[in-house]
Amino acid sequence: MSTIEFEAKGKKYLVRTDVKYTKTDEWAKKENGKVREGITDYAQKELKDIVGIELPEVGQEVKKGEAIGTLESVKSTADLYAAVSGKVVEVNERLLDEPELLNKDPYGEGWIVVIEMSDPKEFDELLTPEQYIEKCKKEAH
Amino acid sequence: MAIKTHLWEFHVKELGATLGEFGGWEVPMLYTSSMEEHNIVRTSVGIFDVSHMGRIKLTGPDVVPLFQKIYTKDISKTKEYWMSGPTMALNEYARVKDDEMPYKVSDEEWYVVANAPYREKMLKHFDETIKKYGFKVKVEDITFKTAMIAVQGPKVEEVFEKIGAGWANDLHTLEFRVNEEIAGQKVFLISRSGWTGEDGFEIWAEPKAMVEIYRALLKAGAKPVGIISRDTLRIEMGYVLGGHEYEEDPTKFPPALCIRYGLGAITWSKRGFIGEEALRACRREGCRWIRVGIRMTKKHARAILRQGYPVYVEDQVVGWITSGTYSPYLKRAVGQAYIDSRYAIFGEYVEVEIRGKRYKGKIFDFPLVPGRPVVK
Repeated sequence: MSTIEFEAKGKKYLVRTDVKYTKTDEWAKKENGKVREGITDYAQKELKDIVGIELPEVGQEVKKGEAIGTLESVKSTADLYAAVSGKVVEVNERLLDEPELLNKDPYGEGWIVVIEMSDPKEFDELLTPEQYIEKCKKEAH
Repeated sequence: MAIKTHLWEFHVKELGATLGEFGGWEVPMLYTSSMEEHNIVRTSVGIFDVSHMGRIKLTGPDVVPLFQKIYTKDISKTKEYWMSGPTMALNEYARVKDDEMPYKVSDEEWYVVANAPYREKMLKHFDETIKKYGFKVKVEDITFKTAMIAVQGPKVEEVFEKIGAGWANDLHTLEFRVNEEIAGQKVFLISRSGWTGEDGFEIWAEPKAMVEIYRALLKAGAKPVGIISRDTLRIEMGYVLGGHEYEEDPTKFPPALCIRYGLGAITWSKRGFIGEEALRACRREGCRWIRVGIRMTKKHARAILRQGYPVYVEDQVVGWITSGTYSPYLKRAVGQAYIDSRYAIFGEYVEVEIRGKRYKGKIFDFPLVPGRPVVK
């Protein structure tokens, strides 16, 4: 996995170059018509220690931008949004007992959900790594 | 614009802190991971920058009469170079303005540590009470002249030995000294106290001196710990936080007695303090709400509690969550709640509603972690 590092608010964050991004800080990776989704390094650092997660159910139909789960950090609660529309075909149940994986390896073992896309065009509309970095830097101002 | 803590540069440039706002101050939230930092304080030694807390000096012949009006505790019994133990300042509805700790140097020289969000309010409250009763007391806010750190954890005595301040280990819990020296630096005040349930010290010193003391402590093995862990540690202990377990608004918060503050915070034999009538009325009529601890079941160990979540028994709403977090020490979601006193039975199960779903927890007394606080 190749990554780029960028700086905002005096902190360093990683973005993966082979995935796309939402404005709400999820990453999405295309895998044979399906999309694997998780939260970005920027998101996990903003949330800080993540101590709980509510996952969507396998088989659930989701719409792009819809809240499909909840992330609980020590200090706050945040929604997880679907990066694309489709059907949930896999969830990372390991996170229920080890939500710290979201902090330790957000782009790898901390993946959250796999969605079978109903409209593949939606994937193309997601942010490129460069656009995502811009978004984060703007937010930091 | 938030006030920067006295050690701001040191936190940012040398310790790599992640900052955030608390009580109008920009303070270190965490340095690495708040869960790890929490465990450092429970098993080793952590250093908190608590400079944002209000440090107020009160001098003059009428400090004791003033404190007897302001606080629920009988302050006249406090010995020289001892802290009074925690107590509460009430409003006329017996709701809490602030929970504080007076420090006695002599009958005519005292210090008070106020919570950061209430420092200005309490300064005003002191001034108004002094004027109303014609007390001879001079109030001086020394918050900006001194920094304050709390060094907390079971290995704190070893750390103090290592930095050549083993003499401090002779202090008893709540005892303090002034004008000492640590790591070659002038220390204005050092007390054996804290807010974590662990053994520890709190130190007041000028900001420059404090950075040097901080460095010496790091070298001796103590680790920086942020304010997030301070919150998770106090939730485990059952210590209260303004805005969560108390506030002045009588339509939103129960009277001070319902807090079950303990630690001798209220002296019933004392007469004439502000809020006394309402507090005694509550005592006589009984508490409608009681503050308790909640520990979620193993199955719902990750059901994180937040302020305002309703608590149920069967189909009855019997209370609300005031604070919640995940305890890395207990490996459970834990919290504090006000429960209707008829339902506040330790060991009984309740359900907490989180986003429309019910999760099971048990009512516990404080502290939620065993064997604490440690008293020396």
